[in-house]
Amino acid sequence: MLEALQLTKRYASLPAVQNLSFTLLPGQVLACLGPNGSGKSTTVKMLTGLLEPTRGLVRFHDRDIHDDLQQYRKMLGYVPEEAHLYPYLSGWEYLEMIGTLRGMPRSELDAKINSLLALFSLHPNRHASIGTYSKGMRQRILLIAAIMHNPEIFIFDEPLSGLDVTSALIFKNLVQELSRSGKLVFYCSHVLEVVEKVCTDILILRKGVVIAQDSVANIGQILGQSLENTFLHLVDDIDTLSVARDIVDVMRAA
Amino acid sequence: MTKAVINRLRIRWDDYRRRPFLRLVELFVARLFRGGGDADAEGLDLGMGLALTLLALPGGFVSILLLNKYGTFLQWLRGATNVDPLVISFPDEYFFIVLSMTVTGAVAVWRWDAIFPDRRDYINLVPLPISMRTIFLANLVAVFYLAGLIAIDVNAASCILFPMVVGATQTRFLFFLKFAIVHATGVLLASAFAFFAVFSFLGLLMAVLPPPAFKRVSAYIRGLVMVYLVTLLSTSFAVPDALMRAKGTLPQWALLLPSSWFLSLCQSLRGRAGPELIRLSALALPAVAVAALIAMATYILGYRRHFVRIPEMTDADVSHSAPRSSRMFARLEDQLLRTSFLRACFPFVWKTLLRSEAHRLVLTGVSGLALVLASQALMNAFQGGKSWRTAALSPDALAIPFVVTFLVIIGLRLVFEIPLDLRSNWIFQLMLDRDRQECANLGRKVILTLVVPLALVIAFPAYAYLAGIRVAVLHTLVVGTWAVLLTNAALIRFRKLPFTCTLPLFKQHSIVTLLSCCFGYLIYAVSIPEFESSAFRGPLRLLAMAPAAILVWFVPRMMTNNTPEIERKLIFEESPERAFELLRLSE
Repeated sequence: MLEALQLTKRYASLPAVQNLSFTLLPGQVLACLGPNGSGKSTTVKMLTGLLEPTRGLVRFHDRDIHDDLQQYRKMLGYVPEEAHLYPYLSGWEYLEMIGTLRGMPRSELDAKINSLLALFSLHPNRHASIGTYSKGMRQRILLIAAIMHNPEIFIFDEPLSGLDVTSALIFKNLVQELSRSGKLVFYCSHVLEVVEKVCTDILILRKGVVIAQDSVANIGQILGQSLENTFLHLVDDIDTLSVARDIVDVMRAA
Repeated sequence: MTKAVINRLRIRWDDYRRRPFLRLVELFVARLFRGGGDADAEGLDLGMGLALTLLALPGGFVSILLLNKYGTFLQWLRGATNVDPLVISFPDEYFFIVLSMTVTGAVAVWRWDAIFPDRRDYINLVPLPISMRTIFLANLVAVFYLAGLIAIDVNAASCILFPMVVGATQTRFLFFLKFAIVHATGVLLASAFAFFAVFSFLGLLMAVLPPPAFKRVSAYIRGLVMVYLVTLLSTSFAVPDALMRAKGTLPQWALLLPSSWFLSLCQSLRGRAGPELIRLSALALPAVAVAALIAMATYILGYRRHFVRIPEMTDADVSHSAPRSSRMFARLEDQLLRTSFLRACFPFVWKTLLRSEAHRLVLTGVSGLALVLASQALMNAFQGGKSWRTAALSPDALAIPFVVTFLVIIGLRLVFEIPLDLRSNWIFQLMLDRDRQECANLGRKVILTLVVPLALVIAFPAYAYLAGIRVAVLHTLVVGTWAVLLTNAALIRFRKLPFTCTLPLFKQHSIVTLLSCCFGYLIYAVSIPEFESSAFRGPLRLLAMAPAAILVWFVPRMMTNNTPEIERKLIFEESPERAFELLRLSE
């Protein structure tokens, strides 16, 4: 079980996240939604241990993750928002390096890398340098790097970014499979349709504060609307249609 | 049996290499060579092999060129029959020490950005179950490995070839061996000192200044270090002579000149040093140790301030003030930049030149070189106690604006070739008409915007004060005209939007281009000022320059007009020349 207790992070005097609390149970897929600047990335960084909270703590199996960060990270699979990879390494070399740094045995590592590269349709390109990879291929490399050590907790930050339809479908099914096998998944995204389909629970952030937290089914029922409309109603109560019309008017203006 | 042992050793080495710590060191060494920063920002990425070869070349070349000095037959021809090689090698050894310091220091300046792990390393490595201490140590090992590797690489050729050349007249192998060991000690320590000194200096500033302030001034500080290194190299011919002449009292400047400490160390180890040099040599080893210690301390501080705080920096809200625009500049822009291409690309080129670290660094290096050469010319002009007016009209003084404008024009032309984040040039590929490019025009406007005011500032006020308005106007006119002509010549067949094309490949005509630059420098910065100096005795003689100027104006125009249509198209990629050509006879 992963718990966030009264998590708060301030940069200088600016609060990025305030009093965020939730519990993530095995099998649960918790989506984190919010507009730009709502504190999603800061939350993810605190959950991965990249940032220390100003107040509050993150507990995994009833222990503060900062008590033994390395042990926690052994059980963590993380896909960051941006695919910052080393362009001069090949896909295979990158995964081999990550696996080695995770302390995976060599025989197991080689077999896993080969199998996962084949399953993600990257095997033919495994020896090409990452610099030549497309955005989707890089994203797939990140996904493999996050799952190949069979972690307990998964933190995905915009994991579908750049993926083609097939890879995206495979990934969505993968998340559901992970959930079924009792893993913990924290899923940050802007794609509401995917969240609706894949996640069991939702956490909506606005200006660093939780404004809604419930199961996907319940959140929709509150207002009797689709998730997209509920989200808009909660986060930015603006008339998107009228904004779109205004944009076209500005475009047409001489 | 042997095969089995070799196989077992190979497997063991493979297993050893796969240990996490060594894997990290390997990764950091690669980053130090390939550069940090954004994932695919394509800069001057030379690759490890080529970089090491280029760094090793100067030492090897200079050693071979010295054969001329140490060859017995040539010495005999010069009438020098009883020469002590240890005495005549004194200035050459100093040159090698300075060369090794300059090259190693320049590498430290160039690779400074990659010395600390960056955001990409943070995102990839910190979420893994490895401690920050392991990352710290692995990067430190990589930095020390790089320092050692460069010190050995830069000096490898000179450590073998120079002792061979010096010992050419000696029959004993022991002479060669002793000389080689002492020389290697001197140059390697000098290299290590230069690396750690640059590291300490930049590291101290990094520790003292707030990160945004350091980022802003970093390129200029690095430029200053480059200027110092170039000055050290360009004065290397004068220092040994001054040191040899110092009998009894040691000049104070020698105490502040690190290269002289290492030269003295070599002389002391050979038992050839007087009391003054022994005093200097005592500074060498403590200096290396102190520089290494300060480098370590600043590394620890820098690591804490810049790497550990990366996630906080990226999330911090930074507000920027809007740029101020002036009506005068807007009007000037309307006059100078008449097409939409020029109005869009001119600011793009200038903003890149001012904001991109790699481009600023190259420009600062070129400006440093211009400064050194200009000050040398100024010193030469005033040698011999000439009057101000005589000195001002000497070829050396007249050459100053020519030297500066030549280096700025060629420097800018070179900088245009350095690509910057090629992933972003899709916008130009999408929008520009490849058949109707105005790249040469754009390049000319960018260069002249810098060069013309520079020529005016350097040439006009000083000459108006020293030699009268008439000379000042003529000199400024001559400098301006030749600067425009040189700019035209430098932009012959230029068909790229600056910074958006892949790096040009090394071709056979690269050597021709290099030689043309050297030859051009001799004509532009030496011959023209000499002619101008003689012409000021009778200003009508300046008219004799006109045919040459017309020729230089006409040739680039003719070459541009004769360029085939296919070679006039705008390019975004330097494609390699084919080894064979398809004739397509059937088509």
